[in-house]
Amino acid sequence: MKAPARIAWLALPAGAVLAFVYVYPMLDLGRMSFNRTGPTGAMVPDWSLAIWRELLADPFTLELTWNSIVLSAVATTGALLLAYPLALFLFRTDSRWRGLIAAIAITPMLVNGVARVFGWLAILGDRGLVNSILLSAGLVDQPVRLVYNWTGVAIGLTESLMPYMILALMAGFGRLDRTLEEAAASLGAPPWRRFMRVTLPLSLPAIVLGWLLCFVLAMSAYITPKLLGGGRVFLLATEIFELAVTNVNWPMAAALALYTLILLLLFLAAYGALARRAA
Amino acid sequence: MNTGAGASRSLAFAAAGVIGLLLAPVVVVVVISFSADSFIVFPPSGWSLRWYERLLSHRPLMAGLQLSATVAAFVAVLSLILGLPAALALARGNFPGREALRAFFLAPLLLPTLVLGLALLLAFQPFGLIATLPGLVLAHLTVTLPFVVRMMATNFATLPDDLEAAAATLGAPPLRVFFRVTLPLAAPGLAASGALAFLLSFDETVISLFVSGPRASTLPVEMVRYVEGRTDPMIAALSTVLVCGTLAVAVAVERMIGLTRAVGR
Amino acid sequence: MEQSLAARDHCGQRPLKQPSLALMAHLVLTGLTKRYGQTVAVASLDLAVERGESVALLGPSGCGKTTTLRMLAGLIAPDAGRVTVADQDLTQVPTHKRDMGYVFQSYALFPHLDVAANVAFGLAERGIARSERDRRAREALALVRLAGFEGRRPRELSGGQQQRVALARALVLRPQVLLLDESLSNLDARLRESMRHEIREIQRNLAITTLFVTHDQTEALTMCDRIAVMNRGRIEQIGTAREIYDTPATRFVAGFVGRINTIPLARDATGLNAGGIAIRAHGVPDGPVDLFLRPQLVALAARSEPAGDANRLEGVAARTVFVGDRSEVLVDTAAGRLVVELAPGAPAPADGAEIALLWAPETGRVFAREDA
Repeated sequence: MKAPARIAWLALPAGAVLAFVYVYPMLDLGRMSFNRTGPTGAMVPDWSLAIWRELLADPFTLELTWNSIVLSAVATTGALLLAYPLALFLFRTDSRWRGLIAAIAITPMLVNGVARVFGWLAILGDRGLVNSILLSAGLVDQPVRLVYNWTGVAIGLTESLMPYMILALMAGFGRLDRTLEEAAASLGAPPWRRFMRVTLPLSLPAIVLGWLLCFVLAMSAYITPKLLGGGRVFLLATEIFELAVTNVNWPMAAALALYTLILLLLFLAAYGALARRAA
Repeated sequence: MNTGAGASRSLAFAAAGVIGLLLAPVVVVVVISFSADSFIVFPPSGWSLRWYERLLSHRPLMAGLQLSATVAAFVAVLSLILGLPAALALARGNFPGREALRAFFLAPLLLPTLVLGLALLLAFQPFGLIATLPGLVLAHLTVTLPFVVRMMATNFATLPDDLEAAAATLGAPPLRVFFRVTLPLAAPGLAASGALAFLLSFDETVISLFVSGPRASTLPVEMVRYVEGRTDPMIAALSTVLVCGTLAVAVAVERMIGLTRAVGR
Repeated sequence: MEQSLAARDHCGQRPLKQPSLALMAHLVLTGLTKRYGQTVAVASLDLAVERGESVALLGPSGCGKTTTLRMLAGLIAPDAGRVTVADQDLTQVPTHKRDMGYVFQSYALFPHLDVAANVAFGLAERGIARSERDRRAREALALVRLAGFEGRRPRELSGGQQQRVALARALVLRPQVLLLDESLSNLDARLRESMRHEIREIQRNLAITTLFVTHDQTEALTMCDRIAVMNRGRIEQIGTAREIYDTPATRFVAGFVGRINTIPLARDATGLNAGGIAIRAHGVPDGPVDLFLRPQLVALAARSEPAGDANRLEGVAARTVFVGDRSEVLVDTAAGRLVVELAPGAPAPADGAEIALLWAPETGRVFAREDA
């Protein structure tokens, strides 16, 4: 039943709140990036491109960008490879445990991020699960360094992305129909060929969508790199926080945050154009 | 499928392995919370409840727990009060600019919380809202309000139209239709989105890191500070408690409307 | 349950009693069984189909006909029994090596491929060169009157066109056996009619052994050489359309195929009666029974007309209904309300007219009452 147009007024209170906690802060962030920092490091209100010039001229910015993109691509691809079989299984199974398994698969998304990072510290740490096994099996003499470096961050990030990937894949599997694989079988295609010729092409949109979503999440992840990186992993996200909270260089923090946002938008646009051409 | 039996068995094995990987950190945390060791050692060399006892007397964490619960309660209630009418407008309204309004409401969900957190820090500082209860509640609304609007709008849109029409043909005026038909039907979704808004706020870490301060820090912020400084099993004990709470909410939501439907887009 | 098993033993062995047929048969199902937990979906089913013959599996939903077809194609593994084609046991052979064309109820066209690629899908699996693939796909599409549609996507086609693409995709491989699963049920009535004849024609011209699953008796009657009527996982009767219609072997077949009157019969010292009126019938089993009578085999007569050797039941014409190609008269009798088909050209009795119904004893069929 469609209501009259005046029902739109019902959205007013929520809209007003969002204007204050979302629209205004975002505009303010943009404004901040045009201020300057004085010689003492204090902020000077201004309308200048000084901060932007400084940011773009700094080779460290490029290094951070490269680090973030590579790490995010690795973690997202890892999450995709791991999540795909599980999502396909969940999509296909008629087991009565399906609901439970799906819930288990996405519950980590709701579990506090710090708790999960702590779990990885216990698994990957010098005296953690993996090293205990390796040492007792005599495969290594010294504990292998798996946390407080890129490896640890990549593993933790991969795991934290998986629930999102599973959800995105399952949502995108809509066109996958079991009957289509049966049809392929009746036409003489063995299992592997059925996967390559029917299942995979039909799930390609879901793969693209899931990868995109998770890449964006990975680019802006902060807690996992911060705690599993042990201060040795430098990314756009960690640097934004450092600038804002530790250095209190707000104009620079704002500029770097906007730079990251623009990077993501460019990336999404390029990917979108690519996907359209492929389709 | 006869021919696919092998393939689907291998698929099931792969799925089980992935589930194991997903659960590993949580399981390890629960196990290690009963450790008697003073460091993270897995498997633990002995068992005790000492980290749970220590946790209860750890002031910053207990204060954070209390603040987080308070913030989350306010956030959940406000999200529902503000979000329900907005969702109704989006789902039932037929006015020009409705799609634009929908995009406006959902946009914050697409923004990285890192950017939002920074923006909130810069915007709230002049108002003296940093490290205050109202500041934290408002900051969390940036995430929970769009979430509740999206979830409830979907919920309203999937309610059978016929029932409302039927109530109208039976002589109920629009407002009565809403209270006697629409709202009762939407109740499970409402409860579920309230519960998830509570959870989202309670677990929100990145935005809280920006808008917390020495005067007021939420639990996740205190946890980050603790893990940065020391690595002993106390955080595992706390995490175990949180996991149990999360599971309770997840089960409740699953019962009410199905978890995948609630958090999926 | 006991009763139904007994009934299976009674008529399920029919194909085995005809060894000549079994020897000549192209497609043979022996003791095919599928259970889902406690439910028996298909109960030790035997069926033999000759080379080039078209057989319908007709039955209500849930009777096990689609399960049977899927076992045949290897899409489900049977719990017991064998599937052989041309004396070759295929029971353990995976679907993709069975060489059976399968037309799915939903057509199952690949949405990411165009029509030509859909039709050529199986040819590619057989390693046939591209040019040859294209040629044969075009031929197959011409066969189903879809020449020129090669570049279209499935979603751009109407239901009937999709159906024909699915058919072409199966036929282009020249399979040993063609399996059709409710293939016309998603089409509208008019299209269904023309597709029936079209598929029948193609099947005949190619002389392809065909098994056709349907719940629609008109489809079964018009499209197939023989009909196997299925109920609760077993075949109740197998025969030509005529045999099934005129001499139903079981109570279920009598009730399922065509319209029929069911008249409860009682026994007294002298024999059978319907509502107190003595009735004569052939082949009467023991116990409580019902009489099954086709509406067109009952004659309307004046009360004064002599019955002769026929059974006679008096009644009152309640209403005459015009059903398009014929008229039916609803008659209230001592044995309940009966439907009688008005002979072409005969005048309809006035509502409330007192009339008599006449039928020869051999035209009715008598079966044991089920809920006895």
